[in-house]
Amino acid sequence: MNRPSSAALFLRSLFDGLAARTIFIVLIGIGAVHLISLWTYHHALSQQAELAGDARLADQLLSMKRAVMREPQPRREAVAHDLSGGPMEAHWSLTEHATPGGPGTEQWLALAERLKQAAPELDDGGLVIGANRRSADDPHLAIISMRLPDESWLNVSLVRTSTRSAQGHGTLISTSLMALGAVLLSVVLVRWLTRPLTVFATAAKGFSGSATPVNVAEEGPREVRALAAAFNEMQRRIARLLDERTQALAAVSHDLKTPITRLRFRTEEIADPSLRAAIADDLGEMERMLDQTLAYLRGERTDEAMQPIDLVAILATICGDRSDTGADVLLGGSRSATISGRRLSLKRAFGNLIDNAIKYGKKAEVTVLESPDTIEVRVADHGPGIAPEYRERALAPFVRLEPSRNQETGGFGLGLTIAQTIITGHGGTLCLSNGAEGGLIVTVRLPRHVVAAG
Amino acid sequence: MPEGSRATTTNRQARLATVLVVDDDSEILSLVARFLQFNGFAVMTARNGSEMTACLKQNSVDLIVLDLMLPGANGLDLCRDLRRWSAVPVIMLTAKGDEIDRIIGLEVGADDYLAKPFNPRELLARISAVLRRTQARPSNQAAGAQRLVKFAGWRLDTTKRELTNPQGIVVDLSTGEYDLLLAFLDAPQRVLSRDFLMEATRTRTLEAFDRAIDVQISRLRRKIEVDQELIKTVRGAGYMFIPDVTRGQA
Repeated sequence: MNRPSSAALFLRSLFDGLAARTIFIVLIGIGAVHLISLWTYHHALSQQAELAGDARLADQLLSMKRAVMREPQPRREAVAHDLSGGPMEAHWSLTEHATPGGPGTEQWLALAERLKQAAPELDDGGLVIGANRRSADDPHLAIISMRLPDESWLNVSLVRTSTRSAQGHGTLISTSLMALGAVLLSVVLVRWLTRPLTVFATAAKGFSGSATPVNVAEEGPREVRALAAAFNEMQRRIARLLDERTQALAAVSHDLKTPITRLRFRTEEIADPSLRAAIADDLGEMERMLDQTLAYLRGERTDEAMQPIDLVAILATICGDRSDTGADVLLGGSRSATISGRRLSLKRAFGNLIDNAIKYGKKAEVTVLESPDTIEVRVADHGPGIAPEYRERALAPFVRLEPSRNQETGGFGLGLTIAQTIITGHGGTLCLSNGAEGGLIVTVRLPRHVVAAG
Repeated sequence: MPEGSRATTTNRQARLATVLVVDDDSEILSLVARFLQFNGFAVMTARNGSEMTACLKQNSVDLIVLDLMLPGANGLDLCRDLRRWSAVPVIMLTAKGDEIDRIIGLEVGADDYLAKPFNPRELLARISAVLRRTQARPSNQAAGAQRLVKFAGWRLDTTKRELTNPQGIVVDLSTGEYDLLLAFLDAPQRVLSRDFLMEATRTRTLEAFDRAIDVQISRLRRKIEVDQELIKTVRGAGYMFIPDVTRGQA
């Protein structure tokens, strides 16, 4: 009951092919590698930058401390002022301005630790890093107080600026271009890789068993080569099997003709006319079955040549013959319709359709309709019709839809199959439908004969 | 054998015709021989080509029923050889139902063809028809001489039993219509009685005995009379085929 949403269906249709799926997988793989490496790179870069920044800060502080130390006390404030610049502002005083604690304590402690590491000299007299004693509420403003040897203090206020830079855009574009290139390349490669599979599908579809199998070229990767070899071997086996079966069936059908001929002659010596007629009818049915079997096995392999032929004349012959034997047959529509065809094959095809209509539908109404490109023949009967779900089965060989129906009529269930094979062989179509007032309608469409110019 | 199974047509043969049956299946051979004897023919049998040749040299044979599949030389070769020195009509029997066999059979000089399994009465009817046709034609004129018949732009190929209209389109005929047309083509511009035409068509379509000849005529007319009248109804007498008929090999 849970039907997939339209979005899911869209996704499924988008990634239906092997190529699309492979590309999708490649894309995910590249994306993941891309993101991880980008993150690692940035992380390492910022760490480096931080270390370098700390070292520079430590150097600056150290040189400030030394410069101020060298001066006499009255000049120290002026020198400190001169050294200020950028984010740093230095003042000399007798007391320290920094106080440990306050907001951002851990940050300052960590900085102090790093500075001590970068330049151990800084910690000679004492180093306090913390918030401003008087206004300890600004977390961005740090005061670094360094005690000078004479117990006075150099206080450097420092605005912590972010070292994060916006340089990521360039990297993102270049790596994305790289990924795009990889995807395009993989599209081509995957197409190349999956092409043998398309060839297999085409070969499998084209394989009919009757015609000579078309071998798939044994090339490509090892697995594909092995698959091609196995596929070709399977084709050969199936073709051989079908061929043997056909030969056996044809031989049996063919060899039965002589005994039936003998029986025909022996029947002539039966005194009881009704018994003779009954046996003759049985023999006639056997003959028809053999005839249909051989016609089915022969398929479209016929020796007849295609020639311009009047389809209505053929239908008239069939309808005339059937009404001579007492069947209810009507022929209407066009008086003549030329197609390109094989006379005996067409006679068999339409004979089967009309015989079916008489057998199962009591009456055959044959109508010929002409349109600019096609000739349409409709064979309608007054029988029960065929339910839509059984129509495909009705066209399959050796299928009899209703066992009860066939007991009285006999037959192998080949009539429709043979008709369809012949019609298809003429470039036409055969379809089944039920009439508005019941009954089966077999509609055959055949291409009209094209008169050669001149 | 009951009286009812005796085909009426054979009784009209003026003298006892001799039929030579050639088949390698001895059962078929004896069954066919008995059946034909009962229906008023003198019958001889042969199991292969050499027996057939020997029989033909010693006896006067009116018609040969020849099986296509024989050990040694096949029926087609035998028929081709036979045609070099004899015009005896031949009906070819074959177990194959293929049209191509019939055409080849007729091309090597057979007069008619019957596919196994066949109805015994069908064989009887064919024998009678072939005898009637060959006795009517000038002597020494073997089958194959007049394969193509032309009239009013139409062509009838009697090998393929195929009728082609002036536009070159094949127009199918039923066996009854074909026989009817053959009868007309044999006697153009002559009034043919219903009885005569009935006899001509009855040979093949055994089931349609009581089918009025007028129905057959009207069916044939519907197929061949597109823009001009070809068959004229002669009141009280029968029908007449109007156009001129020419015959040729090709």
